[in-house]
Amino acid sequence: MIDLRPVLSILGTLVCILAVAMLLPAMVDFRDGHEEWMVFATSAGLTLFFGLALWLGTRQPSRRRSVRQTYLVVAFAFLLPGLFAALPLVYGPLQLSVVDAVFEAVAGLTATNATVVRGLDALPRGLLLWRALLGWLGGIGVVALGIAVLPELAVGGMQMFRLEMPGPAERATSRGRRIALAILAGYMGATLLLAIALWLAGMTGFEALVHAMGTISTSGASTSDASVGHFDNGAVTVLITLGMILGGMPFLLFFHVLRGNRKVALRDHQLRWYLALLALGTLGVTAWLAGSRGLAPLDALRHGAFTVVSVMTGTGHFTLDYANWGGMPAAILFFLAFVGGCAGSTSGGIKVFRFQFLFAEALMQVRRLLRPHAVLIASFNRRPIPEEVLGSVMGFLFVYALGFAMLSMSLAFLGLDFVTAVSGAAAALANLGPGLGPEIGPGGSYAGLPDLAKVLLTLGMAAGRIELFAALVLFVPAFWRQ
Amino acid sequence: LIDIRPVLFVNGFLLLVLAAAMGIPAMVDLSAGDSDWKVFAVSSMVTGFSALALIFGTRSRGRPSLSARQAFMLTTLAWVSTAAFAALPFAFSNLRLSPTDALFEAMSGLTTTGATVIVGLDHAPRGILIWRALLNWLGGEGIIIMAVAILPLLRIGGMQVFRMETSDKTEAIKPRITQVATSITVAYVVFTALAAAAFWAAGMGRFDAVCHAMAAISTGGFSTSDAKLAHWGTAVQWVAIVAMLVGGSSFVLWTGPWRRGRPRILDDAQAHWYVAFVGTAAGVLALWQWAVNDMSLGVALRHAAFNVVATVTTTGFASADYGAWGGFAHVLFFILVFIGGCTGSTAGGVKIFRWELLFSLAGIHLKRLLHPHGVFVIHYNQRPIAPAILDSVQGFVVMYFFTFAVFAVALSMVGVDLITALSGSAAALANAGPGIGEVIGPFGSYRPLPDAAKWILSAEMMLGRLELFTVAVLFSRSYWRE
Repeated sequence: MIDLRPVLSILGTLVCILAVAMLLPAMVDFRDGHEEWMVFATSAGLTLFFGLALWLGTRQPSRRRSVRQTYLVVAFAFLLPGLFAALPLVYGPLQLSVVDAVFEAVAGLTATNATVVRGLDALPRGLLLWRALLGWLGGIGVVALGIAVLPELAVGGMQMFRLEMPGPAERATSRGRRIALAILAGYMGATLLLAIALWLAGMTGFEALVHAMGTISTSGASTSDASVGHFDNGAVTVLITLGMILGGMPFLLFFHVLRGNRKVALRDHQLRWYLALLALGTLGVTAWLAGSRGLAPLDALRHGAFTVVSVMTGTGHFTLDYANWGGMPAAILFFLAFVGGCAGSTSGGIKVFRFQFLFAEALMQVRRLLRPHAVLIASFNRRPIPEEVLGSVMGFLFVYALGFAMLSMSLAFLGLDFVTAVSGAAAALANLGPGLGPEIGPGGSYAGLPDLAKVLLTLGMAAGRIELFAALVLFVPAFWRQ
Repeated sequence: LIDIRPVLFVNGFLLLVLAAAMGIPAMVDLSAGDSDWKVFAVSSMVTGFSALALIFGTRSRGRPSLSARQAFMLTTLAWVSTAAFAALPFAFSNLRLSPTDALFEAMSGLTTTGATVIVGLDHAPRGILIWRALLNWLGGEGIIIMAVAILPLLRIGGMQVFRMETSDKTEAIKPRITQVATSITVAYVVFTALAAAAFWAAGMGRFDAVCHAMAAISTGGFSTSDAKLAHWGTAVQWVAIVAMLVGGSSFVLWTGPWRRGRPRILDDAQAHWYVAFVGTAAGVLALWQWAVNDMSLGVALRHAAFNVVATVTTTGFASADYGAWGGFAHVLFFILVFIGGCTGSTAGGVKIFRWELLFSLAGIHLKRLLHPHGVFVIHYNQRPIAPAILDSVQGFVVMYFFTFAVFAVALSMVGVDLITALSGSAAALANAGPGIGEVIGPFGSYRPLPDAAKWILSAEMMLGRLELFTVAVLFSRSYWRE
C-alpha cells in the first residue's frame, strides 16, 4: 500500500493556499458593501480548517516522494481544491447546484473556464475576481506541472523537457529554486504589466486586473458575457492578443531571458512552430473575415488574430461570436484547438512539440521507404529524439484521441447534438472553454446540459489538464501493488 | 532519372483489363437495346488502343522487373490512369456528366469509395449501373493484390508485418506472390458469386443481385437504387451485412492452408478485434435506438448492424437514413469511419491492426511510467513486433490525421460547411463514401458540391486508397535524386 500521508500533506497545502486566496474576493466584496463577503469569509474559514487539518495531520519530516505518490498528488491537485473552490459558488448569490458549482470551479482551476454562469456583467465583483483568481492560480499550477513534474514523470514525451541539472544535488536544488522564482516572477510580472497596460488602454482597474489574470493564465476569465468584445477597443484587443500569445509560450524561456540568454528563445524550434501556426491560422481566418464578412482589412486582422490565438492557446476569450462563422474558420479553429500551445506554458491541448516530434518522424518515414537500411533519426532542437519518447508521444496521442472519441460519444449519448458533443469534448480536453454551436459556443453556457454531461466534462477537463496519463496510471493494477 | 518504361508497360496491361471490362456493360446495353452500348464500345476501343500503344511502345527484352521506386510510381500512376479512362463512359453516356463529375465517379468507384454524383439510379441504363459495380469490383481486386503483394514490400505503414511469410518452418514451400494473388482472386470471385446467389435467393432481381454482390464484397458501395439497400427487404439486408463483413476481412487468411483443422481467420487477432468491435458498436447503437427512438429491438438491431458494418468496412451502403437518428449516431458514425477494416481486405480507413498496435503502445507507455527502466515488447498474433514496424505505424497514423485535417480545411476553403467538410474529408480518406449532414449524408449525393471540392475529394480518395505514403514518397526530394 502506498503511504498516503505525503500526498495528503501536499494537497492540504494547496487547499490552504486556496483558502488564503478566498480572502481577496471577501475583501473586495466587503469594500463594495456587498453581503457576499461573508460567504467568502466563511468558505475561507472552512477551507482553511480542512486544509490545515490535512496538512498538519499528515506532516512528516521531509522525505523524498516516490513516483506513485507524485502521481496521486497530480491526479487530485485539481479535483480536490476544485471541491473547496466551489463553496462560494454554491452558497453565494448564484445558488448554483453542486454539480454546476464543481464544474465551474474545476473549469476555473484547470484554466478552462467553460462556464455555467450567465449575466456576468451584473455579478458582484467578488465572484468575478474569484473566477479570475481560480484561473490564475490554476495557471501557476499548470506551469509548475509542465516544467517540474510531468517531465520528471516522463508523461507523454515530456521527458524531452527535463531540466538539466548538472553538478551535485545541492547546486541542483538552488538552481531549481532560482528557476521557480524566475518563473513566478515572470508570471506575476507579466500579469501586472498587462493589467497596467489594459488600464492605460481604457479599462477600469478591476476589469484590467481580471482580464490580465484571465489572459496570462490562458483561462479566459472575463467581467462580461460578451468577453473582450464588450469593450470594443482596438488597443485592448491587441494587448490581450499579445498576452495570450505570451501565455502559450514555454515559461522556462522567462528564466533564460531574465538571465540575459536571449539566444535560447530565438533558437527554440517549438516557439517557431507555435508562432508559425498562429500566423497561418490568423491568415486563413482574416482572409475569410475580410472576404465573407466584409470587415476592413485591419479589423479583420485584429479579430482574426485574436480569435485564432484565443482558441489555439485554449484561452476562450472572444471578440466576435465565432460560433456562427462558416465552414472554413470553424474548421481551422477546430483543428487548432487540438494543437494547443507549447510545453511548459499555461495553455492546453496536445501541445505543439508533440506534433513536431511526430511530423519529424513521419518525414523520416518517407525517407526510410527509399533507403530501407539507412539509420535515420528524427531530431528536435538539434537533439535526437529517442525511440521511447516517440512511443510515449504516440501513446499519448492515441489515448487523447480515444478519450476524445469516448467523451464525445458519451456526450452525444446523453442527447447533445453532433457539433455540441464533438466541440464540447474537444474544448474540455484541450482546456479551451467555449465550444462551437449555439448552445456552448462563445457567449453561450454549459448550464443547459444534463448533469451527467457536466460531470463527464469536469472529469475531462481535469484529465486533459494533467495530460491524461497521470490520471490513467491510477487505473493500472500494478500501481496499487506493494 | 527513373526508367519509366517498365512502369508504363505494366500500366498498359491494367488498362487492357479495363478495356476488356468495358465490353461487359456494352453487351448488357446491347441486349437491353440501349444506345449507350456504342459509348462503351468506343471507350473500350480508345482504352484498348492506348493500352496496346503503351505495351508495345515500352516493351523491353526479358522479364520486366520493378525496383522499389518504379513500384511506387506504378501504384500511383495505375490508379490515376485507370480512373481517367474509366471516366470516359460516364462523360459520354446519356448521363452527360461533366468531366469533373465523371472523374469523381470513376475514382470513387475504383477506390471502392462509393461516393456518387449520380441521382436517379433507379432509372439509369443498366450498362452504367453494371459499369459502376464493375469499377468497384475491379478496384477491390486491385487493392487486395496491392495490399498483399506491393505494400508489404514497400514497407508502407507497418504492412511489413504481412510480408509473405515463407511458410512455417516445417514446410519448405515458398508461396510466391503470383500464387498467393491467384488464390486470393479465386476467393474473391467465389465470395462474389456466393453473395450474388444469396442476394438473389433473398429476393433481389438477378441483375441487382450481381451488382450488389460486386459492390458489397469489394466494400465499394455503389448501388442500383438511390435508396441503396433501403429499397429491399430484411433478408437482403442481412445478406448484405454478411457480405460486407467478409469484404472487410483479410482475404489471405481465407485462402491459406488450414491450421488445426480450421481456416486461419478464426485464430487471427485482427479478425477477433474486428468482429468484437463491430459487435459492440452495433449493440450499443441498437440499444440506444431501442431506448431513445422507440424502434423495436429486431429492427433496431438490423439497422444498427447494417450501418455500423457498412461504415467500419467503409462500404457506404445504407439501410436507413442514420442522419435522422440524432446526435449519438452522428458522432458514432463520424468516429467509426476512422476505424476501417482489416489489412489485406478491400476496406479502407486506418485499419484494425494499426489500432491494435497503437493500443499496445499506449499500454506500454503506461507501464513504463511505473517502471521507467523496464523493457517491454509488443506482441501481435503471438509474434514480437519490431520497433521499425511500430515507427511505420506511427508515421502512418500521424500522416492519416494530418491529411484528414488539411483536406477538411481545404474543403471548407472552397465553401463547404463544417460538418460536410469534416465528414466528407474523413469519408473520402477512408474510402467510405457517404458522410454526415444534409448534403452528403447516407442518402445524399456529392453532386451539389462545388467542382473544386470534387477534385479535392478525388485526390483524397486516391491518397487514402494508396495508404498515403505511396503517394507522399513521390513528393520527396530524395525520390527523384540520382
